[in-house]
Amino acid sequence: MDLYLPIAEVSVNAPLLIALGALVGFISGLFGIGGGFLMTPILVFLGIPPAVAVGSLANHVAASSVSSVAAYSRRRAVDFRMGAVLAAGGAIGSVVGVEIFRILRLLGQADLVVSVSYLLFLGVIGGLMLTESLGAILRQRRGQPAPPPRDRRPLWLYGLPLKVRFPRSRLYISVIPPLALGIFVGILSAVMGVGGGFVLVPAMVYILRMPAQMVVGTSLFQIIITTAITGVLQAGRNQSVDIVLAALLLIGGVIGAQLGARASARFRAEELRAVLALIVLLVGLQMGLGLIVRPDDPFVLMQGAGG
Amino acid sequence: MTDLPPAIIQSPPAAVSAVLTETEVKVNSGFRGATISVYGAVFDPQGRPADVVVVIAGPEQPLRIARKSQVAGIWLNSRPVVFRGAPGFYRVASSRPLGEVARFADLRRLGLGLDHLAISAPMERRIETRYGVRDMVVNQLGADYFDWRSAVIRLKQKAGLYSADPAGVRYVDRGLFQAQVVLPADAPTGLYKTRIILFQDGRPVSVRDRTLTVEKVGVERALYLLAHRHPWLYGLASMALALAAGWAASRVFRRS
Repeated sequence: MDLYLPIAEVSVNAPLLIALGALVGFISGLFGIGGGFLMTPILVFLGIPPAVAVGSLANHVAASSVSSVAAYSRRRAVDFRMGAVLAAGGAIGSVVGVEIFRILRLLGQADLVVSVSYLLFLGVIGGLMLTESLGAILRQRRGQPAPPPRDRRPLWLYGLPLKVRFPRSRLYISVIPPLALGIFVGILSAVMGVGGGFVLVPAMVYILRMPAQMVVGTSLFQIIITTAITGVLQAGRNQSVDIVLAALLLIGGVIGAQLGARASARFRAEELRAVLALIVLLVGLQMGLGLIVRPDDPFVLMQGAGG
Repeated sequence: MTDLPPAIIQSPPAAVSAVLTETEVKVNSGFRGATISVYGAVFDPQGRPADVVVVIAGPEQPLRIARKSQVAGIWLNSRPVVFRGAPGFYRVASSRPLGEVARFADLRRLGLGLDHLAISAPMERRIETRYGVRDMVVNQLGADYFDWRSAVIRLKQKAGLYSADPAGVRYVDRGLFQAQVVLPADAPTGLYKTRIILFQDGRPVSVRDRTLTVEKVGVERALYLLAHRHPWLYGLASMALALAAGWAASRVFRRS
């Protein structure tokens, strides 16, 4: 059953896109990531112009995140205050990131920067998460106690001014690190066209030292806010949101996200992180491969006159 | 022109006439491309051999193209080059290979054939002083310019948007010909100029112009217009819809 997309101006197979939305929504609900880093390459592979894929994806990610945050908040697993601080940073970062991306596109280097940042961030984060979570799983299997937590109060996290209480996460830390993290993720998400959950989730665990059960819901909460802003910005500035495409993806996405959020309660946090790390690593390597393999054609067409 | 035999001047000139089976292609939600036929007739009382060329060109779409080159093992894009004058869709069909139908100058003048499309990279032109000569027009791409230009055509051909068929015009009966144009689903919307040209003895003797419009209709059109005329409203509405859908799904699932 093919459907013509009015903004993307291509014809797509509707059931395939709904199934795809459901699959990515499930992964999103399970791991607390937006899933943009998985979906963008798939949509582009299906022939949808990259700009439209990125623009419409924001709607899909926002929808499935709302769906799963609702589920997480019923389990009191969302730190709304922390999420709001991260989102404030994210909003600043995405405005900066959109400008950076515009300049890169004018220079024709957007592809390169996107591929390199995918390789770099997905590779490093995936690798770190995988070693850490596998270590944790192995220790549990052998019945060893967890290693003594390193300094629970790193000076740079607690020594900075502007301390704020985050009761849900049982943290009393400076507002500067989460805000800076939000800005960084905002820039990254605008440049890479993703929600940034795959950076946020490990950063909240390893840098902000938030309790593991708060991380996924809080990450998704900040993703709702940043993707809602970018989605409206993309439509307003670039007219690159295809509502039909977004609708197809989010029909599957909201249902998949519910199932994912439910399923997450049945797995251990370390095991989930290990699987997420593997997915992240594979996507990063796949993107990196595109930089090394000889292209079919030495020339590449880009839509529009630019500027 | 002393060598023109008087017989040709006296005989009535040959003429071509043609119609499109469809003049409006409607793009709705079920659009998967369209096939349009061109039917035509050649009128020539003397029955001299005639060649017919059908060329159809969609609305102009400026495009950018970059070249990849390997630097330290990594494939990098060059600075993109903007080409102007490239139609979003182009197809030329003829009864014989174009090189046999007409002379190079006529093909170039009429823009017939993929080698003769009038596309150029105006921003690469620069006026500078070279070898002490002022106001020289220099193309920054230099000798590579031809590679760039042919890459544009090649990539468009690969996407199914440009094509040339040297046997695309078939005579179905004496003086009666037919040609087919297949529009892919991602062909641009807008005005398509169709031109049917009759060649005799290597010269264009008769021309017919027909237009074809490809336009979105119904819901597709309404959404497209809304997205372009009121982009912020459209953006807010589609985001509100997305958020509501997410919330609704969580409500439904809570009950079950």
